[in-house]
Amino acid sequence: MRRRSFQARLLSLMVFALVLFEVATLIAVHVAGRRDLRQTLADELRVGGRVLNRILGVRGRQLTDAARVSAADFAFREAIASADRSTITSALANLGARVDGHAVFLISLEGSVEADTLGGHLVGRPFPVPSLVTGAGSQGGTTIVTLDHRPLQFVVVPVLAPQPIAWVGIGFTIDEAVLEDISRLTGLELSLWAANPAAPPVLLSTLPPEKQLALRERIRDKAAMPETLELGSDTYQTLLQPIETGDGSAVHVLLQRSLEEAQGPLRRLELQIFALSSVALLLAIVAAIFFARGVTSPLSRLAEAAQRIGRGDYSTPVGVTQDDEMGQLAAAFNRMGTEIGAREEQIRHQGSHDSLTGLPNRRLFLEHLALWIASAKRRETRVGMVMMDLDRFKEINDTLGHSLGDDLLVEIGKRLRQTIRESDTVARLGGDEFAVMFETAAAASAVELAQRIGRALETPFTLGGISIDVKASMGIALYPLHAEDAGTLMRRADIAMYQAKRDHGAYALYESGRDDHSLRRLAIISELRQAVATNALELHFQPKIDIATERAVHAEALVRWRHPVHGMLPPDEFIPLAEQSGDIGIITKWVLRRAIEDCAAWNRAGFDLAVAVNLSALDLYDAGLPALIGALLHDQGLHPSKLILEITESAIMKDAAHALKTLLDVEARGITLAIDDFGTGYSSLAHLKRLPVDELKIDKSFVVNLSGETMDDGVIVRSTIDLGHNMGLKVVAEGLETSEAYAILKGFGCDMAQGYFISVPVPSPQLLAWMDESQWGARPSGSWQRSEHEP
Amino acid sequence: MRPVLALLLLAAARPGAAATTLIVELRDAKGAPVTNAVVYAVPRGKRPPPPSRRAVLDQRNRMFVPHVLPIQTGTAVTFPNNDNVRHQVYSFSSAKKFQLPLYAGTPAEPVVFDKPGVVTIGCSIHDQMSAYLVVVDTPYFALTAGGRAELPGLPEGAYDVRVWYAGMRHEPAPQPITLANEPRSLTFQIGKK
Repeated sequence: MRRRSFQARLLSLMVFALVLFEVATLIAVHVAGRRDLRQTLADELRVGGRVLNRILGVRGRQLTDAARVSAADFAFREAIASADRSTITSALANLGARVDGHAVFLISLEGSVEADTLGGHLVGRPFPVPSLVTGAGSQGGTTIVTLDHRPLQFVVVPVLAPQPIAWVGIGFTIDEAVLEDISRLTGLELSLWAANPAAPPVLLSTLPPEKQLALRERIRDKAAMPETLELGSDTYQTLLQPIETGDGSAVHVLLQRSLEEAQGPLRRLELQIFALSSVALLLAIVAAIFFARGVTSPLSRLAEAAQRIGRGDYSTPVGVTQDDEMGQLAAAFNRMGTEIGAREEQIRHQGSHDSLTGLPNRRLFLEHLALWIASAKRRETRVGMVMMDLDRFKEINDTLGHSLGDDLLVEIGKRLRQTIRESDTVARLGGDEFAVMFETAAAASAVELAQRIGRALETPFTLGGISIDVKASMGIALYPLHAEDAGTLMRRADIAMYQAKRDHGAYALYESGRDDHSLRRLAIISELRQAVATNALELHFQPKIDIATERAVHAEALVRWRHPVHGMLPPDEFIPLAEQSGDIGIITKWVLRRAIEDCAAWNRAGFDLAVAVNLSALDLYDAGLPALIGALLHDQGLHPSKLILEITESAIMKDAAHALKTLLDVEARGITLAIDDFGTGYSSLAHLKRLPVDELKIDKSFVVNLSGETMDDGVIVRSTIDLGHNMGLKVVAEGLETSEAYAILKGFGCDMAQGYFISVPVPSPQLLAWMDESQWGARPSGSWQRSEHEP
Repeated sequence: MRPVLALLLLAAARPGAAATTLIVELRDAKGAPVTNAVVYAVPRGKRPPPPSRRAVLDQRNRMFVPHVLPIQTGTAVTFPNNDNVRHQVYSFSSAKKFQLPLYAGTPAEPVVFDKPGVVTIGCSIHDQMSAYLVVVDTPYFALTAGGRAELPGLPEGAYDVRVWYAGMRHEPAPQPITLANEPRSLTFQIGKK
């Protein structure tokens, strides 16, 4: 498209320029030619007029000579001298016949007509053209006269005996042959006539008959003869010229030249110019096409090359070998392709390989695994993979330094590569995780490979003069035995690896039928530890308001996990798992640290807020926890009264004796304790009474449905509030979602409320914004000094 | 066209002679002398004597010699051809129409001019040849030379003096003169307009 348009533009430009030039030339030739033609024709006509005069003159002289010779005939003279009228007349007629004269007169020396061949009616009268007789010498004279409305060439010669005794006058018709002669000589059309006011003139003309008729009409119209005359279908340039006559009669000659005919040579010239122009145009077009091809063909090849480069084909060079700018551009293209290819290869390598060990990374491994599985599917073979994770690598890193840790990973990569077959693939998936992919006939051979890897790692690594023992856990999964696709196969190898870790074995084969939920839990637990370490957990806070003052007094810290795959996870999704795996401790400690930090920040900013943190039942077994909390509070300069620890009813009831010990320790440090989810367990009131608890939180399942209609929940809530009050505890309602429920709770005398009706859990900065803006918010007026003095 | 005639009579005493001489001066309108004109005196009332001699119109070098030849009526004229080419002499003049067919030498018979008048002679072979035979009824004639003609031997008596010249269109009026025994002169002025 582009090529066509460039070619077309170039073509149209050239064609336009040429056509312009040619049209200008043609117009110039045409105009100049026509102007010159007019001038030339005018000249030709004038010349024609002179030729006519000249020829008539010559003819007159010739006729005179002929007449003189004839009149010198002895017998003629004798006859004239005879004085016999009839003899004389017949001699005149004979003379007329000899010289082809139209009329012959005998004129006396005195100038009167003696005899004539026209019937003698002029005899005795003076000759009508006396000047001719008087002007004629011995050689005779000639002029043109009009006789009977016809122009005649009249000749007068003397009759010598041997002295002049008389004159003979002969009138010669000017016939068309004369005009034809002149016409042939000059190339003009001639028409000659004597003016006749009474009738259309007798026309002598070289024109074709029908045009003569038209011309006669024009002459009769007495219109002045125009310079350009149209007769019939032809246009003529004309010149009307009077002819000198001896008798004063008006004789005209009209000289004409057909414009059509005269333009012939000009037309031919114009045609030749046009033909030459056309040939030039054609040549120019051909040249333009060639030229445009010379430009566009390399251009389109370059465009194709650019598209190839776009597609990622850097190896096919541009086939432009011209020794000009195009060639330079093509060479630059080729260099560019090669260099982009090299860089892309490098980037691709970086993207698909681990920079530390040079092994393929997780992405490339997964890609290859998918390819292998696809190929195995076609060939009905098997693919196995081993996922491996080093035990205690974090310890090694922490004690020996990251640099050495990295060196160790490199060495492990080398050993793995040495251990496996050339056709197998080893990759570093990240951290201390490696994976091997191999073609295998059976599970047994996979196990054998794992064992071989295990043996390879038994030899201690010596790095920086330090000998390091490494132990790894490996999980094995096989296609198609354990999974149909690469992702699943990897996950199952991962699960098998955790199984191996759990069993403290070197490797484990994935066990078919292990339910995915537990697998996910296992995976999540391992990821959770990572999340704590990398601060992937977030704290959100939900305010509690004091119903009496309608001001926020506490904010409950709720942990969220921003999972890279599953997104934002609520605590229900992972806290129970953490409790099961025994990892809850690290989460609790992380939450405590962050909550105390944030609360301290609020108070420093002037917000009089306490923070509530949930403890797990398992946390109560941690005897060191109270001391840790004390230390955290101290570090942040937060008064213990600003911390509320919430423990579920069930947690306390599980091992009340053990829990009590921890709780007492906590209470002794001035920290407030609250029973969470109250009403769902089977609290023993006796126990409850002994616990150092300050608050009861009614489970949200009772509060959510609280309304004027469902009185059951209302009864429970009301009696619970009463119970709490009777035991000297403050009562908090959780799950408050409606203003109706809020009014009921207020009516019941509930101390505090928490729920979506007040605010959803929000991160710390939004909580402070909420404090500023909400009707429940407590603006930080004057609270600064107080918080400053209290610790 | 009437010629103005001025007559000047000069008496020239010529005692004892029976005849006298008339001298005529011929002038044109401008007063220039006219040459080769014929001046002749025709006696009144009596017949002149008949011609006594022959005249000759010679042809030499394709010319008639003389160009003007006055003769008395009845004179026989011979036309000798002295050229080595032949001539054919003719005249269409009414005074004498004749033709001498192509000849060399002298024709045997002379031509007798028996009527007065001017006879224009030509040669039909050579157009340029022409001569005038002026035939007059008197033996007293002469050609002017330098505008002057002398008519000798005129007997006493009355005469009409007349003039002819080539190209003359109207004859000037005759000049009457009576001659006594003494020479006379008179002047003719021939006029052109």
